[in-house]
Amino acid sequence: MSTQAVLETPATGEAPPIPVRSAEFEDPVLEARSLVKRYGDLEAVAGLDLSIQPGEVYCLLGPNGAGKTTTIHLFLGFIEPDAGRVRVSGFDVARNALDARRRLAYVPEQVMLYRNLSGLENLQYFAALGGRETLSSERLTDILVDVGLPLPAVGRRVAEYSKGMRQKVGIAIAVAKDAEALLLDEPTSGLDPKASREFSELIETLRGRGVAVLMATHDLFRAKESGTRIGIMRHGRLVTELSTDEIGHADLERIYLDHMQE
Amino acid sequence: MTLRTVLRNEWRLLRADRALALVLVVFALLFAYALANGLAWVDFQEETLAAAREGNAERVETLEAELQRIADGGQPSSPFRDPRSPSVLGGASGAQTAVLDPGPLTALAVGQSDLLPYYYDVSIQTNESSFLQNGEIENPLNLLVGRFDLAFVVVYLLPLLILALSFNVLSGEREQGTLALTLSQPVSARGVVTAKLAFRAILVMGLALGVSLLGVLFSGGFGSPGRVALWCAAVAAYALFWFTLAAWVNGLGRSSAWNATVLVGAWLLLVVVLPAGVNITAGLLHPLPSRVEMITAQREASNEAVNQRSELLARYLEDHPELAGGVAAEEANRAALAWAATDAVNRRLEEVTSVHGERLAAQQALVRRYRFLSPALLTQEALLDAAGTGDARFARFQSQVREFAERWRTFFVPAILAGEQMTADVLPALPSFRFVDEQMREVRARAAIPLAALGGLLVLVGAGAVARLRRVTGP
Repeated sequence: MSTQAVLETPATGEAPPIPVRSAEFEDPVLEARSLVKRYGDLEAVAGLDLSIQPGEVYCLLGPNGAGKTTTIHLFLGFIEPDAGRVRVSGFDVARNALDARRRLAYVPEQVMLYRNLSGLENLQYFAALGGRETLSSERLTDILVDVGLPLPAVGRRVAEYSKGMRQKVGIAIAVAKDAEALLLDEPTSGLDPKASREFSELIETLRGRGVAVLMATHDLFRAKESGTRIGIMRHGRLVTELSTDEIGHADLERIYLDHMQE
Repeated sequence: MTLRTVLRNEWRLLRADRALALVLVVFALLFAYALANGLAWVDFQEETLAAAREGNAERVETLEAELQRIADGGQPSSPFRDPRSPSVLGGASGAQTAVLDPGPLTALAVGQSDLLPYYYDVSIQTNESSFLQNGEIENPLNLLVGRFDLAFVVVYLLPLLILALSFNVLSGEREQGTLALTLSQPVSARGVVTAKLAFRAILVMGLALGVSLLGVLFSGGFGSPGRVALWCAAVAAYALFWFTLAAWVNGLGRSSAWNATVLVGAWLLLVVVLPAGVNITAGLLHPLPSRVEMITAQREASNEAVNQRSELLARYLEDHPELAGGVAAEEANRAALAWAATDAVNRRLEEVTSVHGERLAAQQALVRRYRFLSPALLTQEALLDAAGTGDARFARFQSQVREFAERWRTFFVPAILAGEQMTADVLPALPSFRFVDEQMREVRARAAIPLAALGGLLVLVGAGAVARLRRVTGP
């Protein structure tokens, strides 16, 4: 079964599928307003405004320390903003963190799993925590295989996995959750080119289902390939926003470097 | 749902982690050994008491046969042990052993039952010094350290097992990186920690309570369901205290190494240092009089009494005019003189032992006052009370033995003073001892105090843990 097939298979007799939202849905799934996060004197996020609609893939570009990961952590409710507001599908994260997380899936830069459990057991656990406890082992195995994990590895202990294999399990956890929004923090870090390509296809499929995606990345190529919009961050601020339809790869690299030199 | 999911995952992790399984197996063996030790002690105690009861019956039978033989015209086997003499019949030859049966759950908590006498030979010679001596020969080191019983394992070692399983319940997730994925799900850190600790609590309390109930089953203690319930409540409350403390420390957001250091420090303070400190303070503030001093006083009183027998008898009869009828001090028989001397010694001993008793009571009062500092002290008190091996049951036994000794004296002393001769007919009328055990409501009332205090500590630490864990929102 292909990734597309896995994602589009109705979950008959299992957890009720989350309704597919159309790209014309007016309210943003992910929304930040005048968002500020300080660590002492350092302003990690400085008045960020962001709005991501269903079916949109928003790529946050920027150097290390630009505030990309902090922004994702604010959406997850891992940290509290000093000012401003973060919303997920209309839920204020500060007030309804669990409701917000129910609608979010997250793939960190380093997917760390229970080393003594297999990839499948890890997926079963995190899927169940995410509310998908009724998904069968067969279905979860299909998801793992479709995100690129070799079938023989599904039942092996994660301690034997490479970083890329762990990353694939992380992506499988996000896919299994069937969330309205997907937060990705350097998701292709550690993936080989083939897996990166498969990942882009996966993002495209999710986008087609109306999932809103926020991806922090250093990978300009992947951002241009997968994103519908690109925001460049520096010193906690969004210095520019671009539509990927309007620019080519070379333009993106030039614009990015121009902003980094300012 | 979170609870079930986490429980299942924890079970998988436990099965996959041999080190954890090994720790649990080692503790299961310790529990089993402690139970076997307790059961062996109860067997020994019951054998001793059976022998004592047999001895009682044999003495009465021997005396009856001897008295019958003399009544039939025979001679006493020894002129110094003529059973017709009330001082012989009421003395060592006819002494009755008053016994305290093991508490219903002694196999679980030997307590001080190996230190405090659980039987006394009662005769007209019984005095306060009799209550300070233990007839059993035992390795003093064993008495000092106490037996390795279930109560010891629960109070001292169970917290270590709990801490070994729980010190990194949250910090470990953070350090291995799984906390980020976990908290990106619609679950709170509080919920996850509670579920993870619930899994460990099921394992640990299942082990502790399972072995306890097995011990109850083997020793027939199910006849006292109230005591069993008290025991289980004390074990559960104590275990939950340590789990809650581990949750609190994890909620502080420090490293696993830091958590382990703090928790082991807390164990050392609450289980070892504070109880020892309270006991040492009690001993320093209210030192017991020296045993040498007491023995010297006993000897001095004894010598003095022997030298002044006639005078003492006259004084005794002045103090007890109701016994003076027909007895003239000048014509007193030898037994009456001996009794007067014994009584003088007893009075002097009462003076000395009353100081001992007062100091001991002051020590116990101080320990009772400061037991609230340590959950270990509170739990030990509740466990021993539930088992029937606490101070209160022994004090009750001693008090009833004192009362029995008084009845024994009252039976024989008038006959001694009157110089009467006893026959086999008096044997059925001899005073007998039967321990009247404490009522469950008394045990409940007593155990309610340490249990309530333990519950209070649990609520306090639990509130701290909840407050800290609420603040954990991210990895």
